[in-house]
Amino acid sequence: MNDTAKLVYGAVLGVLYIAAGLLQMVRAVVGPIPGLEAFYLTGNLFGGFVLLVVGAVFLAGVRNLAAGAGEGAIFVSVGVLLSVAFGLVELLALCALGIDAYLVGEWVEWSVADAMNPLLYLAVLGAAGYLAWGRTFLRGLSAA
Amino acid sequence: MKREIRIALTGNPNVGKTTLFNALTGSRQHVGNWPGVTVEKKTGKASRNGFEFEVVDLPGTYSLTAYTADEVVARDFILEERPDIVVQVVDATNLERNLYLTTQLAELGVPVVIALNMADMAEAQGNPIDYRKLSAFLEIPVVRTVGTRGEGLKDLLDAAIREAETSLHHEHTIGYGNETETMIASLADALSADGDLAGRYPLRWLAVKLLEGDENVLAKVRGGPASTRVEEILSRIDPDEYEALMADKRYEAIAAVLPQVRKANLKEMRPSDMVDRVVTDRYLGIPIFLALMWGAFELTFTVATPFMTAIDAAFAWLAGFVAGSIEPAWLASLIGDGIIGGVGSVLIFLPNIFILFLILAILEDSGYLARAAFIMDRPLYALGLPGKSFVPMLIGFGCNVPAIMATRSIEGEKDRLLTILVNPFMSCSARLPVYILFAGVFFPDQAGSVVFFLYVLGIVVAIASAKLFRSTILPGEASPFVMEMPPYRIPTAMTALLHMWSRGSMYIRKAGTIILAGVLVVWLLASFPFGVEYGSAESFAGMIGHALEPLVAPLGFDWKVAVALIFGFIAKEIVVGSLGTLYGTGEETLPTALLADPGLSAATALALMVFVLLYTPCVAALGVIRKETGSWKWTGFSVAYGLVVAWLLAFVVGRVAGLFMGGV
Repeated sequence: MNDTAKLVYGAVLGVLYIAAGLLQMVRAVVGPIPGLEAFYLTGNLFGGFVLLVVGAVFLAGVRNLAAGAGEGAIFVSVGVLLSVAFGLVELLALCALGIDAYLVGEWVEWSVADAMNPLLYLAVLGAAGYLAWGRTFLRGLSAA
Repeated sequence: MKREIRIALTGNPNVGKTTLFNALTGSRQHVGNWPGVTVEKKTGKASRNGFEFEVVDLPGTYSLTAYTADEVVARDFILEERPDIVVQVVDATNLERNLYLTTQLAELGVPVVIALNMADMAEAQGNPIDYRKLSAFLEIPVVRTVGTRGEGLKDLLDAAIREAETSLHHEHTIGYGNETETMIASLADALSADGDLAGRYPLRWLAVKLLEGDENVLAKVRGGPASTRVEEILSRIDPDEYEALMADKRYEAIAAVLPQVRKANLKEMRPSDMVDRVVTDRYLGIPIFLALMWGAFELTFTVATPFMTAIDAAFAWLAGFVAGSIEPAWLASLIGDGIIGGVGSVLIFLPNIFILFLILAILEDSGYLARAAFIMDRPLYALGLPGKSFVPMLIGFGCNVPAIMATRSIEGEKDRLLTILVNPFMSCSARLPVYILFAGVFFPDQAGSVVFFLYVLGIVVAIASAKLFRSTILPGEASPFVMEMPPYRIPTAMTALLHMWSRGSMYIRKAGTIILAGVLVVWLLASFPFGVEYGSAESFAGMIGHALEPLVAPLGFDWKVAVALIFGFIAKEIVVGSLGTLYGTGEETLPTALLADPGLSAATALALMVFVLLYTPCVAALGVIRKETGSWKWTGFSVAYGLVVAWLLAFVVGRVAGLFMGGV
């Protein structure tokens, strides 16, 4: 994937993460926002902070790439790794909560939507970037 | 007859000495991917070809001019104990800095063998070292090793045997230039008047160290026959100037050797450096660190949930079984309320402890935690705390005892004392059960975030206290922080699991010993005097709790909490164990009992968690504070300061939370 593709990809993910982070922080402070139920925003303030951090890493990469600095691609790659890492955290949490619901006999009432949040579904986009070039980057890192 | 050879493993911090030590001796000493893991020498045994080896793992040191407490340990051992062979473990990926110590060992004239470690990584970077040529240049045996895979160990021991068998050892000298050489000659001449010193150390080495302003060597000279003349010569020079000049000359000598032993020279940026651009970024570094911490606590809380449910159900069943089938009633109460209620309510958090240690092991082994210390340097230094303090502070997330011992790597007594005093504010794993219990009960949807908040609060209080101490009782400037970044590594599952087990199993041992003893004492206090209702206000526990209640009542805590906090002084886990015993939950779980207690609210729970985070260090931590500071005054200060800060902050947090959530 060339730098232009990374720039576009980083810009899209950066904006999405920042938007989700801001909305989640608003949701945490003022309560549920009407009309935005489909985005599964939680009332978790720190979760919103994490979304903002991942978004900021992507946008820092985009800014560097737009200015012609090659190291911007590294910020996008690290953004991808962070996106996937936090997605995995939320995926593990989702599985654990599902198992717990089963153990306490609340499996019937439990739904994936109970544990859904922006860190989880945005990580799907992060995973696409990981498959495109993140794996190579990670292998290079561990061999360094 | 077997011959014994004593080997000292020395080298710069984080070059793999402990990994090599473990591989040679079959030990399982803790290995970290950051400098300063070994602060005391450790000993193990090995054997090869009829020789028995005593292997001593020394703390990392950058030079033989000792600046820090752990460097003094390393140097004193080499100088005073005179091992048969000094094996210098050298990081092949960072030869230039590592060879600086080699030049000093060579000057000392001790028999040295170099273990060229991490050779595989240097090769993977396209920068292999011609170790045979290096050996020829240095006139020192060089053996290629990969400690993590146990490669080169036999060759290393064989080289040690050969060196121990030969008597052809002599010091190697570096030319420091005419002016310096004249000074060295004058000092060596003056020192020759001291027969005792001259018999124990090479005169040239002593002279070089004196020119570098080495206080330790100067102390050896003082009061001796050479003292007056040496001090007269030294009074005419600036040791800082000579130290810098001689360091330059050593690096010049190294620079002359390197191009001839390296098969390639790296010019382009390594992927590791590239990632460091992002994770140590001036603006993004700290937010990324905080985000990763949040992820760690989110995982610690949520992933453990089903395991906790299963353990909880098992203990509830056991308590029910005991209550229904054991006679007499006092024995059923001892086992049900005391042991199962107390120890069970602590063991339920075992999954959280193991998961937290696993995550910390992964972060540490990957090399990230060393970056965390680096990015925290700027804010810490601005507040008067040396950046190097953050390494012991991070170790404090596991246990404050080794963390306080790790302060030995800090230069300057004031910096070290400062770090020791603020370290107990770093939230150790023993406090985690209290957070998980109360956050899970009173903040079920945001438990991970509450735990994260408490850990961050601990760091903030530690830093703010350091600033306060620096501007009042411990004035001065923090030492600058120089820390080498270890390479990133993908942690292996086996290593991470071993780390997790070695730290987590301590928790199980504590549950079966000190925690069990603590809850039994609480049970006895809650059961007597004879004839009173268990856990009532008339019991001894009730009397103690009621006597202390006025002190904690403004925080919203009742007498049961007061008793639990008193016993938490022995070990913080006992806070939960004591509550489990005092609530005498039986088949009912402790979370249910706490939720049903009208005296407890979300705001009170938050205040209690803050109090447990900050109040007095446990007995073991106090013991090590006494040992490391050598002062009862500072140990007492640590207790008193912690109690005052904990009370004030718990009061403020409880009141503010009460405004939003009600209660207190």
